[in-house]
Amino acid sequence: MSRPLDVVIVGGGTAGWMTAAALVGVLKPNVCRVRLIESDEIGIVGVGEATLPQMKDFNDLVGIDEAEMMRSTNATFKLGIEFLDWGFKGSTYVHPFGAHGQAWGGVGFHHHWLRAAQNGRPWDIEAFSYAVVASRCDRFEFPSRDPAAIEATYNYAYHFDASLYARYLRGFAEARGLRRTEGKVVEVVLHPESGNVDAIRMESGELVAGDLFIDCSGFRGLIIGQALQSGFEDWSKWLPCDRALAVPCDRAGRFTPFTRSTAREAGWQWRIPLQHRTGNGYVYSSSFISDDDAAATLMRNLDGEAQAEPRPLRFKAGRRVDCWRKNCIAMGLASGFLEPLESTSIYLVQVAITNLLRLFPRNPVDPALVEEFNRLVDNEYDRIRDFLILHYHANTREDGELWRYCRDMEVPDSLRSKIELFTRRGHLPQYKDGLFSPPSWLSVLLGQGLRPQAYDRLADNLPLDELFARMETLHARIDARTAAMPGHDAFVRSYCASAEAVRAPALAGADA
Amino acid sequence: MNRALRDIVIVGGGTAGWMAAAALSKVVGTQNYSITLVESEQIGTVGVGEATIPAISLFNNVLGLDEDEFVRETNATFKLGIEFIDWARLGHTYHHPFGLFAGDLGGIGFSHYWFRWLKAGGDPDNLMFSAEAEAARRGRFTRADGRPGLPKLHYAFHFDASLYAAYLRRFAEARGVVRVEGKVVRVRQHAETGFIEGLELDDGRRLHGDFFFDCSGFRGLLIEETLKSGYEDWSRWLPMNRAAAMPCARVEDPAPLTRSTAREAGWQWRIPLQHRTGNGYVFCNEFIAEQEAMDLLSRRLDGAALDEPRLLKFVTGRRKTCWVKNCLALGLASGFLEPLESTSIHLVQSGISKFLTLFPKNGCDPKLVDRFNWEMERDYVSVRDFVIAHYKVSERDDTPFWRYCRDMDAPDTLAAKLELFRTRGEVLVDNHELFREVNWFAVLYGQGLVPQDHHPVADVMSDEELRIRLSGARKAILERVAAMPTHQEFIDRHCSALRSVDAA
Amino acid sequence: MSRRPEKIAVVGRDAAAWTVAFGLQRAFGRVGVAVTVVDLPSLLGPADVCPALPTLGGLHRLLGLDEREVLASAAGVHALGQRFVGWSGGQGGFLHAYDSQPIGLNSVDFLQYWVKGRGKGLALELDEFSLGAAGARHGRLVTDAAPAAGLPRPAHGYHLHARGYVDLLRRKATASGATCVSGALRGADVADGRIAAVVLEDGTRVEADLFVDATGAEAALIGRLPGDAVEDWGQWLGCDRVLTASAPRLDPLPGYSQIAAFDAGWLGLYPLQDRTAVVAVYDHARQSDAQMLQTAAALSGLALQGDATVAPFRAGFRPRPWIGNCVAIGEGAVSLEPLDAAPMHVVQVGLSHLIALFPVGPDFALETEAYNAAIASHAGNLRDFQIAHYKLNGRSGEPFWDRARDRPAPETLAYKLKLFAGRGRVALYDDEAFQEPSWTSIFVGHGLIPRDYDPLVEMVGEPEQVRHFQNLLRLIAAEVRQAPTIAARLARP
Repeated sequence: MSRPLDVVIVGGGTAGWMTAAALVGVLKPNVCRVRLIESDEIGIVGVGEATLPQMKDFNDLVGIDEAEMMRSTNATFKLGIEFLDWGFKGSTYVHPFGAHGQAWGGVGFHHHWLRAAQNGRPWDIEAFSYAVVASRCDRFEFPSRDPAAIEATYNYAYHFDASLYARYLRGFAEARGLRRTEGKVVEVVLHPESGNVDAIRMESGELVAGDLFIDCSGFRGLIIGQALQSGFEDWSKWLPCDRALAVPCDRAGRFTPFTRSTAREAGWQWRIPLQHRTGNGYVYSSSFISDDDAAATLMRNLDGEAQAEPRPLRFKAGRRVDCWRKNCIAMGLASGFLEPLESTSIYLVQVAITNLLRLFPRNPVDPALVEEFNRLVDNEYDRIRDFLILHYHANTREDGELWRYCRDMEVPDSLRSKIELFTRRGHLPQYKDGLFSPPSWLSVLLGQGLRPQAYDRLADNLPLDELFARMETLHARIDARTAAMPGHDAFVRSYCASAEAVRAPALAGADA
Repeated sequence: MNRALRDIVIVGGGTAGWMAAAALSKVVGTQNYSITLVESEQIGTVGVGEATIPAISLFNNVLGLDEDEFVRETNATFKLGIEFIDWARLGHTYHHPFGLFAGDLGGIGFSHYWFRWLKAGGDPDNLMFSAEAEAARRGRFTRADGRPGLPKLHYAFHFDASLYAAYLRRFAEARGVVRVEGKVVRVRQHAETGFIEGLELDDGRRLHGDFFFDCSGFRGLLIEETLKSGYEDWSRWLPMNRAAAMPCARVEDPAPLTRSTAREAGWQWRIPLQHRTGNGYVFCNEFIAEQEAMDLLSRRLDGAALDEPRLLKFVTGRRKTCWVKNCLALGLASGFLEPLESTSIHLVQSGISKFLTLFPKNGCDPKLVDRFNWEMERDYVSVRDFVIAHYKVSERDDTPFWRYCRDMDAPDTLAAKLELFRTRGEVLVDNHELFREVNWFAVLYGQGLVPQDHHPVADVMSDEELRIRLSGARKAILERVAAMPTHQEFIDRHCSALRSVDAA
Repeated sequence: MSRRPEKIAVVGRDAAAWTVAFGLQRAFGRVGVAVTVVDLPSLLGPADVCPALPTLGGLHRLLGLDEREVLASAAGVHALGQRFVGWSGGQGGFLHAYDSQPIGLNSVDFLQYWVKGRGKGLALELDEFSLGAAGARHGRLVTDAAPAAGLPRPAHGYHLHARGYVDLLRRKATASGATCVSGALRGADVADGRIAAVVLEDGTRVEADLFVDATGAEAALIGRLPGDAVEDWGQWLGCDRVLTASAPRLDPLPGYSQIAAFDAGWLGLYPLQDRTAVVAVYDHARQSDAQMLQTAAALSGLALQGDATVAPFRAGFRPRPWIGNCVAIGEGAVSLEPLDAAPMHVVQVGLSHLIALFPVGPDFALETEAYNAAIASHAGNLRDFQIAHYKLNGRSGEPFWDRARDRPAPETLAYKLKLFAGRGRVALYDDEAFQEPSWTSIFVGHGLIPRDYDPLVEMVGEPEQVRHFQNLLRLIAAEVRQAPTIAARLARP
């Protein structure tokens, strides 16, 4: 039996502590020893963070208790994302974690819905999504375990305070024997022949050796970029946003079980409700608006008192050419950046961790594993990229140069053909690996204002009056069931109230 | 002398003349009445592409015309509205679509909700909420075609006016209208009453009539030259007095809309037909020379010119009385309003329908005549105001012409409308008016006039509900329009004229 | 043409034509689409067999075909997998069952434990841990009911007598409203890259909006259209002849087809209810047809009936199976050996994509592009699976096999092989007919044992590992014992 693999994680943000927690939570010391190096001097972003339903799988895999995690991180539930003013100013749609309606006769629901509309019965398709209807009235309940129930047609994720989440994971990991070292890295020592990372030198002079290094050092990519020269594939021509301003504000307004994304003149603004406050931020392109104007826009559009000055962030959309090179794997911002429009940041860390566990190396690292890891991670990045571009590209906004630019830009062929097939016949993209699934594509394609010319002719097999009857029944069922759900605020208070939780103002609605 | 009506004579065989002949032959018939139409082949008709408004379907329905046949016969295309380019300011485009916007949301018109929404930062493109505009912008068209429950798409036609006249002629002749070829050289009047008794033609023939329609064009052979009705000149508000017209080759699938582009001294029309495109420059010769205007028009075609530009002269205004004694003027003989809102045919239709309502079976009772003239004047004046609004409400001041328009006074009736819209977002229209609140909304907002306020009822709905309702209305329009065939596909499927053209 | 397709002509023969016709009729017959089969003279010999993967059962359910009726009409037998003999040089061969991998431990795949165990002297082959393989070997239908906890449920495909199966499809398709015109094809009216009509020898003209070319290798329609091309796969799949003959029924009925390699190709035995279909796929340059007949008898050890037929074969595919208004489905689109039940699967893939992309308007350009991309992707993966058998062969010293081994594999397969050889991971692409367990089964079966195993395996102690293995074997044995024999299952009313 070989000796355990010595893993050194550099950087203690969300990515670093997720990796640390996963490795100590899943692996035993006889196969892997983990050490994490971080410096308290280097702050982490720590704004409200929104996630995807896969997050729950991660917690389950690692062995994290949901309610405890939520209490510790001021977390709330999330059923989807509401997009305001995307596509055109004044628009609203929700990209839910769940399907719209159900397939009948092997034909996707949206074909039936289109057919109904073309026969004089136009319905709002959102009325057939359990998650959207619940979102619109700020209600939450866990999905049913009975797969046949309408209450099983959705999923949920979390909003939480990312810095508290990192702190929570730190406690979790340290309790399981993780060794944390405080300090700054001053040098990466490479093996003169193989080019592998032998060790990193700390400011204190200590040399930390390891078999595998996880670079969680953020945008700069201390090891993967600076030492190992894995380049950056720049996607900013498609995703021109390159800055963000983040600011928390007092909790006010609706306590929504969803993230809100409002398109603005030169980007978009997020709103993430936490138990004790609301996270906000303006993601924008510096080519289309000044920092001052962006800050003013953000501060003007808060629904509670700002708790701080807006904090600036800079980035560039794209990813590392190789996220794993030699014996170093980049995670989080060191691996690439895609704006949080679809809350994919933590998901991408999770994907990297899952693939690392599936392709866990020995020392020396087998290059075939590296190649496969990169193939899988690249695939995820590419698919998310196309999905994000869709939000920008399909718009008819007249205000703002950004929107005109995005409307006119040449999109990747992979996206162009998806849009064409959808607008022609409602065909939805489907692929084996990676985000997003057909229901997600559907909600965003429709939400952004694209409409199929024709529906699948198989839908005509269902007699029209039966179709109408089924749609009415489904609609009524969703209405009735969601009306019986508890309010989001009440649910959070009873399930996972944090010490800091702010009681919702009376106008919050559904709880009364 | 005022005697019972039997012999009806129509002078002039353009669109107006044959519309009158067709309608009379259908409605009162030729069993009890004789209907004669005098025209001369030497006097050509204009025969450019002509644009209409949806009300033309009422006329065609009265005649019982099959719509697809009508479209085939006249090389017609469908029209969902008018696109105005460079009118509000250079580089700006808006539509005046037919039909309503998004439907009512709560008792008051859509526009109030929309102004509220605009103020809250909504997209300034009001056309997103018009199914007709959305379809026009995407080059799509369909009829509701027997699908119950589907909202109707409001549409009119572009057609070849001379083909329309010829089509109506076949219709009228089949129903007993007698066409007489010849030029009128003399009009005989009753010595005392001045009523017209008959006409003398260039070959010496005489025609007797009890009632006369003057469809002789601008000159008004009967109404003016004989009966001296008088002409009310409106050119201080609408100074345009020339139009150069020329057809060009079709270069693309026809758009389902008329295009009007504001120019240095007027505006240019573009009317797509199935086989070619009609174009014209309506201008004022005080601001641009005729030759220059014609040259500019020739240069501003999107297809190869099919003919030399033809110049038409006119003075905007109306005949002071359209019905004098036993003579009623229709078409250009009754007045002239530039075709900016495609109202020419409608005004003919409106005259015919009023006449049929008041049909002077037992002679021309002055009460009927007065009533007719009063209604006709209202029609003319309200259309006039609507047309003037296009010039008056504009930011343009880049040429002397546009500066003139900016500085001129508006008629009182119009000034009052504009003021109310500016302050309250309200348009008050009387029942008889052809252009309704929604039309004024489209044009005034399109021309750049944004009201200071909206109706308080529009504030009742919550922000979120308003957003969901408007978003929902937008989605429904997208779904409808996506399912429509292109305009060309629709024509190919139902009413393509190409076959008959090939055969000819 | 200015309308969406309302008239479909399926021009072709045999299983491809009738599967497609029946499928289209069931899908669109009630919404106004008229399906006409232009039924060309059959190319099926009396002994032809139609091997099918478990996915065909899914198609049958969609078509409303009852499994018992299918088996009765086509003298059919359940197939739980294929047994490969003589490919990698070893004696025993292995069974590729239509089965999932056995459950591993601690979220780590079973294979990783097996690789480690093998290094420590474990003598059991991987397929011994497959319930499907065990059922196949013993001729027992272990796929009928959910097995005990801890065992995944295997699936079964079929061996069907081709003529019987085609007769059933024809009956069903016409009963559900498809019309049929029979005759030989004289020609087609082609204009502007589209087919206006096909003309039969007796002068009958059949017009349609959309034509399906199910004529097989002949590609009688699509071959006439501009832009048609064929990509030859002979460099990897070098056999050019298929011999088919009947032999007496095997008793007891095995639950698998046996695929035995010999110096010039391979010989398959496919059990049917009333006979055994013998199929030889070989390189004609190394074995004449007459020799092949003798070899087949000798290798199978069975007395061949006098009904042998020989047909030419060439592996390859059309990068544009859909051109204009003509869609090639079946062998004309993707020509693969009858190995791995590929030919029937190719038909099914073509049909399901045609249904999914059935034109909604008069212009098919987008559908054509999407269809061709999807079929190319499916075909490439299926091709790789077939090539893997050849590429991994261990028959040294035989020129046919040496050549197959030495040929560089297509890039996509080479990557799969490289990754698997290192750590036993399977790289799966979009549009795979075979999932990870199948790739694993044939890779390991043909002797590609991963060099290394997942270090996470070490988190489970050896005693626990051994207990897990023993438990699996015990469960499998118990399941097989209580499962009915295939013969008994077929005899059940």
